[in-house]
Amino acid sequence: MILSDCFHEEEENEAPVKAKRIKPDAGEEEEVVYHPVKLSRNDLYRPPTAEELNQLKEAESLFHCSLLKMQGIIVCVYVQCLTHLLDQLSFQKVSDLSWLSGTVKVPFLLLPKITKGKFHMAPPASIDLIGSYPLGTCTKPHVMVDLAVTIPADVLHPKDVVNQRYPRKRALYLAGLAQYLTSSSDIGTMRYSCLHGNRLRPVLLLTPPDKNSSSFTVRVHACPPPGFFKPSRFHPQRNNIRTEWYTGLQTSHSGKIPPTPHYNSSVLGDLLPRAHLQFLSAISSQCSAFADGVALLKVWLRQRELNQGTGCFNGFLASMLMAYLLTTHRISNTMTAYQLLRNSLNFLEFHSAFQVVFVDPSGHLNMCADMTACTYMQLQHEASVSMQFWDNPTVDGFHSLLMTPKPMIRTSDHVFQLCELVKLQSSCKKLNLLSELMDHSGNYIHTALPFILSLLQQGLDQRIQLLTHSLSPDPEWSVESEAPKYKAQPPLSFGLLFRPELAASVLERGPPADSPKAAEFRQLWGLRSELRRFQDGAITEAVLWDGESMCQKRLVPKQIITHLLQLHADIPESCVRYVGAMVDDVIKSGSEVPSTGEEKSLAVVQSYDDLSRKLWRLEGLPLSITAVQGAHPALRYTQVFPPKPLKMDYSFFDKEKTCRSLVPKEGKPCPAYITPITVICHMEGSGKWPNDRLAIRHIRAAFHIQLGELLRKHHKYTCRPCPTHLDVWKDGLVFRIQVAYHREPQVLRESVNPEGLLVVRDNEEAQALEMATIHKPLLTSTLHGLQQQHPCFGAVCRLAKRWLGAQLFTPLLRFNHVGFLRFLHLLSSFDWKNNPLVVNLNNQLIAADYTEIKNGFMASRESLPVMFIATPKDKKLSMWTRRAPNVQMLQRVMMVAAESLKVLEQQLMDGNQIQDVKVVMRPPLEVYDAVIHLNPKQVPLLSQAVDPPSVTFSRGVMTGSAAQSGGSLPVIDYNPVSLYLAELREAFGDLALFFCDPYGGTVIAVLWKPKAFSPVPFKTSQVSARSVKVTGDEANTVPNVEAILEDFQIMGKGLVKSVEARTEKWSF
Amino acid sequence: MAPSKKKHASSQPCIIPGGFAVLSLQFNSDSAARHSLYVKEHKVRAEKSSHRPLDRTLFVLNIPPYCSEDVVKELFSQFGNVESVELRDHPGSTQESGPKLSKFFRPAGKQGFNVGYVVFKKSSSLTAVKSHPHDVPLVVCTEQRPVRTGVQKWIQQYTQSFIHPDKLQQTVDSFMENYDKHKEEEAERQKKEAEQQKEEEEGWVKVTRGNKGTKARPHSEAANQRTLQKEMRKKKRKELMNFYTWQHRNTQKEHIAELRKKFEEDKQRIALLRAQRKFRPY
Repeated sequence: MILSDCFHEEEENEAPVKAKRIKPDAGEEEEVVYHPVKLSRNDLYRPPTAEELNQLKEAESLFHCSLLKMQGIIVCVYVQCLTHLLDQLSFQKVSDLSWLSGTVKVPFLLLPKITKGKFHMAPPASIDLIGSYPLGTCTKPHVMVDLAVTIPADVLHPKDVVNQRYPRKRALYLAGLAQYLTSSSDIGTMRYSCLHGNRLRPVLLLTPPDKNSSSFTVRVHACPPPGFFKPSRFHPQRNNIRTEWYTGLQTSHSGKIPPTPHYNSSVLGDLLPRAHLQFLSAISSQCSAFADGVALLKVWLRQRELNQGTGCFNGFLASMLMAYLLTTHRISNTMTAYQLLRNSLNFLEFHSAFQVVFVDPSGHLNMCADMTACTYMQLQHEASVSMQFWDNPTVDGFHSLLMTPKPMIRTSDHVFQLCELVKLQSSCKKLNLLSELMDHSGNYIHTALPFILSLLQQGLDQRIQLLTHSLSPDPEWSVESEAPKYKAQPPLSFGLLFRPELAASVLERGPPADSPKAAEFRQLWGLRSELRRFQDGAITEAVLWDGESMCQKRLVPKQIITHLLQLHADIPESCVRYVGAMVDDVIKSGSEVPSTGEEKSLAVVQSYDDLSRKLWRLEGLPLSITAVQGAHPALRYTQVFPPKPLKMDYSFFDKEKTCRSLVPKEGKPCPAYITPITVICHMEGSGKWPNDRLAIRHIRAAFHIQLGELLRKHHKYTCRPCPTHLDVWKDGLVFRIQVAYHREPQVLRESVNPEGLLVVRDNEEAQALEMATIHKPLLTSTLHGLQQQHPCFGAVCRLAKRWLGAQLFTPLLRFNHVGFLRFLHLLSSFDWKNNPLVVNLNNQLIAADYTEIKNGFMASRESLPVMFIATPKDKKLSMWTRRAPNVQMLQRVMMVAAESLKVLEQQLMDGNQIQDVKVVMRPPLEVYDAVIHLNPKQVPLLSQAVDPPSVTFSRGVMTGSAAQSGGSLPVIDYNPVSLYLAELREAFGDLALFFCDPYGGTVIAVLWKPKAFSPVPFKTSQVSARSVKVTGDEANTVPNVEAILEDFQIMGKGLVKSVEARTEKWSF
Repeated sequence: MAPSKKKHASSQPCIIPGGFAVLSLQFNSDSAARHSLYVKEHKVRAEKSSHRPLDRTLFVLNIPPYCSEDVVKELFSQFGNVESVELRDHPGSTQESGPKLSKFFRPAGKQGFNVGYVVFKKSSSLTAVKSHPHDVPLVVCTEQRPVRTGVQKWIQQYTQSFIHPDKLQQTVDSFMENYDKHKEEEAERQKKEAEQQKEEEEGWVKVTRGNKGTKARPHSEAANQRTLQKEMRKKKRKELMNFYTWQHRNTQKEHIAELRKKFEEDKQRIALLRAQRKFRPY
């Protein structure tokens, strides 16, 4: 079955490219929905052939799911589909050439200017295909066809290896080729580039001119004839660049001549490609799956951005690694591509003795010469993470391994960039790196990079798990322009992956003062290091960083980095662009100490714990309390702006005498909004509870009264009992206690039908109650636990909620920057239609559950909500999203999320743009049909807006520490905006949608429903806010828009400033 | 959208097909836009309730949210004395059941557009309403009778939401008293019924599991289902699996069919993925 499928694929690929391109596009537009497979009985039960049995068995035993195998094969097929394209490139021998005209420049930085030697142009000795293409291991989308052009022997001289003579000749030769090729029209565009960012090894890129040009590029390398130079000349300890020549100074031959390993390996690299090709093709002919395996490995590397730029783990290294494993019999010739990939990753993960030295089969060349230790560590880290994913049966390994790109900004906790790379020149001087600079032939960036990395590694030490850096991309320039300078490179980015428990500590404790290591410590930290005495009596060297609140502490690594770079590498702080905590601004609220609310959440939780302890200890209740559970976002650290303890200014309010509480005054601005923090208090079950829904409600009210009475008597809290809840004013916070009886949902569901049979029917009321009393507390406690495990969860959630709020999506959904980015990415790219989102809280789900969830989901897709989220407790229904987002809304959320992600990533990575991450928080108002502007005086949460207003209003709050318990009850849960929204939605919910940012939004956006304006026949049930049009015998109704717009004003009197109707947008 | 209201030149009542008369309504005398109320005499065949007498009740549609029952009463009293007004969120008969609840425990009403049943003292008022000219609007909010909306209304609502604990306690107590009494009566009634049954059967006493003459376990749907399932399970347990050769063969066949099905499913998913261009890396 698979085989036939494959052949079919290949036939398809042989069809003209144009036809192939059209097909997938067409598929994209039509509605693709998964239907459960229906096989006929005949098909299912026909006797199996031996071959089929084998395939089925293999598919089951090798992979968690046979899907994986088929996906792998298709990838490989896609990758190999290029053979016929090569015929287009016919390369004629160079016969005659006049010398370089002014138009074509030499791709080389001549530094120092002069060197000895003669050069003349001659036709190449031979032209061969090398590299991944003849091996069949190249991958889309950037297919590179490598072409080796051998420079004839009479152009070169055996002594040319010294003092960059050979590299210069090679560059001249390339320029000569380029000059020749400009004359022929069918070559297409030509550009220069250099191999893996190494300026000593320029290459010529040819792009075919016809339409499918994007499909491949030909890369022309110039090589010396095989065996022209003696490999022994390039031993890493030998010197091939003379100091006198490089510096231009006559120095005495007193010291040892410094070796030039990097220069040596870059020349040597040119000598050997043919030998490597032979070696690899011999390997690949032995092992059938070699090409596929290498291709998969390359895809894996590309998704992690490890395959490009200087010191990358390129495709060539990937194939060499695979070949090494094959020759040492780590993997056998008969394995499949998928197994090859697995074994290579396994090898990368565990082989710790493997340094960044990887010697080629000839024994002369270190193929990883340019790679830094950090890149290798990153590679190892990625490999080990991938292996974990692989072994986890609940994750779709293929998707996360090979199809998800992992750019640095989304993988690292913090990212910082070095902007002005010229400054690295001075750091080279400071770090005393002259001979290394010579070895790198003047490339100060690559010279300084390893030293900076080791410096940072030393300084951040225990705080980080991994330090990564971006690989500077291969520069490309046109043949008519000079080679770009080193400083033209894009900024270097560094990624930091923290250890969460240590990253934010403000103290760096060093060795004891008298130990020999102390000097080293002092040397590293400079003046910041001081002697300190600790509580345990030790006197040690230590560095103390500043940071009071959590959000400042998160930036301690930034302080360390800027300090170290300034001290040791002469890089001023202005060059370091630190990306981290930039988005935090929008949830910041502190006045004196900037803080992102972690501390406040903690204070709320502590106050709640105190209350719950007091509730437990209450005596004198007829039934005992069995559980006290929080059910408010503030108690799961996910409230965007955690409630702040407040002290009320009594003169600001009217007073309600009988209940000792404050009431908002009419003329004044709306008082500060106080969120009641919901606490569910479960009462013991007993026979005394009645079996009737109304009676239960009355009993609950009685409990509220009694609880309030007891709390007032014992703890002097001001309480307000209501039939539905009890408000308690404590420590400047308001807790809303709701008594719950565990059988109440059941009682609500039961009813007796006319025959006297007891029927249990699910209904809305029962579900709502269950949600409030059972599921919400459960979610709260689970997420509370999650916060303990992952400290940044709360902040991420709050950011995400803030974003949703700001984009006016809040009626739809109930949910530090990296997490935020990932959240946006997930939101925008998840295929909600065809997949459930499974949230595996506490790892409670096992593989079987996953398949069960998937099957259930597939079977009843139509009836389930659009956004399906499954959790361990809720496998079938997705109760949290049942009501909320509908198809259109989800679509829009996804779109806006993708857009925001793009903007945000661009801004975070690009130093030139104006830094305003708040852009993603500002909603576009153009799409809405009407906008209701609110009077900021009456918007109580105004200070939480994305762009806080310049004017503030007194809201009856006194500064200073929060009031102690007791005193009058403040105004609780009074928010004119939400009251107004509720009224609007109730009155006009069937005609329009209303959107508002709940965190200080001063506009309400109105969107007419698309069907609202089509005339409908007059019906008594459908005349709300409509006016009648009589035509002949029929009466039709349409919405009475003028009256509705006026109603917006009337219903929000005092709150609404103006109603702006965008009539030009309406089309009825 | 075009102003749909028909401006009649003459002061004629406007009657639309369906028998509804159109009255216009504006919030106060300055407001430019008007809502239309649709009124008709209340006519329902199967209405038995006494508080909506057929000849005196006016059925009003499309009452804006800011008109409370009191406001509606005031509005219509210009046509004759109004006995009562009932506002509901959708038309239909009343289904008041259970004991009368105090206002603290009544569920909050909807604040949208309502339908109303206005009961007049005299039936002549109905014709007065229906002949009211269309272009003379009823005015909701006047100097004498201000209607609070917006912030004023919300503050009022907030103030009224306070309940004194003692009052609440009283309400609860009286309700529970009623409830207990009701319960006792019910028990009494059942007991009596049981005794009656005993007497009827002439010397034969029916023996049931319950001690008070009622059934101990209320028969319910769930219980029925449980017994059914129990039976099924029992049946299944007795069956022998893989005992005969044909059974064994069948299991194997099923297994292969399962594998094939999964394979097909996966193939289809691949096709789906491909159609959606999920293979972006290649």
